[in-house]
Amino acid sequence: MTWYPSKEFFEELRTRVNADPDLFRRLGTVDMTLVVKIDYDDSSDCFEIVFSGYRCTGVRHLASVADAAKGSIVVSGPYSGWREMIENIAANGHADLGHTLNTLTLLDTPLRIEADNQLDADLFYRYQQNLQEFFDGAGRSEPVAESATVH
Amino acid sequence: MPHVSPSVEKALDTLSDVRKGKLDLSWMNSNPTGWGVRATPRDERGLGLEDINLVGQYGAVPDHGSIYGSMAPRGSEIPDDMPSLGCYDINDKSLVWAENVAHLYDEAVARQWSSARDIPWDELRPQRDDLEKAMCQVCTNLAEIEFVAGDMPAKWLHRINHDFHEVKLFLASQIFDEARHMEVFRKRALANGGGLLRSSPDSEELLRVILEAPNFTTASALMHILGEGFVLTLFRNGEMFALSAVEKKIFRLCMQDEARHVAYGTMHLKYFLEKHPEREPEIHDILQRGEEATFSLNQTQDTVEARAILAGGGLEHIDEGFAKLGYLFKKQIHEYLHRLKMAGIDRTSRLAIPLELPI
Repeated sequence: MTWYPSKEFFEELRTRVNADPDLFRRLGTVDMTLVVKIDYDDSSDCFEIVFSGYRCTGVRHLASVADAAKGSIVVSGPYSGWREMIENIAANGHADLGHTLNTLTLLDTPLRIEADNQLDADLFYRYQQNLQEFFDGAGRSEPVAESATVH
Repeated sequence: MPHVSPSVEKALDTLSDVRKGKLDLSWMNSNPTGWGVRATPRDERGLGLEDINLVGQYGAVPDHGSIYGSMAPRGSEIPDDMPSLGCYDINDKSLVWAENVAHLYDEAVARQWSSARDIPWDELRPQRDDLEKAMCQVCTNLAEIEFVAGDMPAKWLHRINHDFHEVKLFLASQIFDEARHMEVFRKRALANGGGLLRSSPDSEELLRVILEAPNFTTASALMHILGEGFVLTLFRNGEMFALSAVEKKIFRLCMQDEARHVAYGTMHLKYFLEKHPEREPEIHDILQRGEEATFSLNQTQDTVEARAILAGGGLEHIDEGFAKLGYLFKKQIHEYLHRLKMAGIDRTSRLAIPLELPI
């Protein structure tokens, strides 16, 4: 499966995670804003994903990371890194041992975490299982929306 | 009737009066200014501590706790003859408070998990001998150290004034979190054909420094910020180098709890130093001791070899594992210093341990 990042893609992940009321209820509440920053050779794409309580409450396509909400946690990396993660999830139904969010960010490559301060950055760890379940939504059987923009 | 004590006799007299219709009912008119409130849940997450703190005077946390020294709930009417229990000697808000503590308690309650049910134990598979032994050594180490974060809060819990119940509730939630951590690592060591391996004298030294800290704030700085901050990275480490979905889930769920504890400790220290800037040297002193003990613990041969084997993916790749551990150590220090900066204390030039490992 080839993945093209788009607001529709993340909206679909949002729909999937919210469609299972027990999923986040079992894991617990989340209060954070995640920004997925996808780096290309000469540009970036940013998507803001908001979590509150037991739900993913919103997705925005940002003009730049500067437009993100205060306190956001930015996970950034090259398009190839993000694509590999999503394709791995789609192929396996969930991230395999080498493609979880933590694994891909821990050594700061291919993905890295950035935040205004360490307490905000630590939110990425505080809600790790929820975030993993969100992205693992790409592995569920329903088709995931593709972008009209091809990179 | 056999002889009874005066207090039992008084209670029997009261019961007799009530049965005869001689009712008092003055309690119905007690606390008039605290009556008529209606706390409501903010959303589908239900009614939390943060919600009930918004009604009436019930969310007002005094700078100094009630002088009665009792367990009377904050905001209730306290009769003049309320006895003191004689154990609450931490009565200053600044010695325990963090602005995020009510939120963290609500989060803790919502995010409890079970090591029995929520770990996919049936997905354990036999591993190579070196890898299973390395995982079991890491689990032995973690089972050894985790419950200091149960013992430490427990040591101070019964001394904290009940007007700071948010802190007490959060610390109680932490004790249960750490119980779960101790049991899950013990379970993993015993669940896949291996067993517990070697306990660590160096671990015990750090645990001693934490348990013997002279007051709650220094104990919290040592444990929540330094100790649990380092362990948070160890958990991230464990998730990355997990041998199966089982360890992935264990370490991911544990890191969530640990990050919550770190958040409390960071914000408590911040609150404390804002109120008591003159006590910054005391914090530097205890962190100096803690840094030395933590470094020794982290670099003991058993610990570092086991972690390097897992990081490298086997004994034959241990050098690669050491390189990864070196990178992770720098990250641990970086994050620790940044948490301290958030709390208002800079140890960059005073760190008692290397910024990088010579590996």
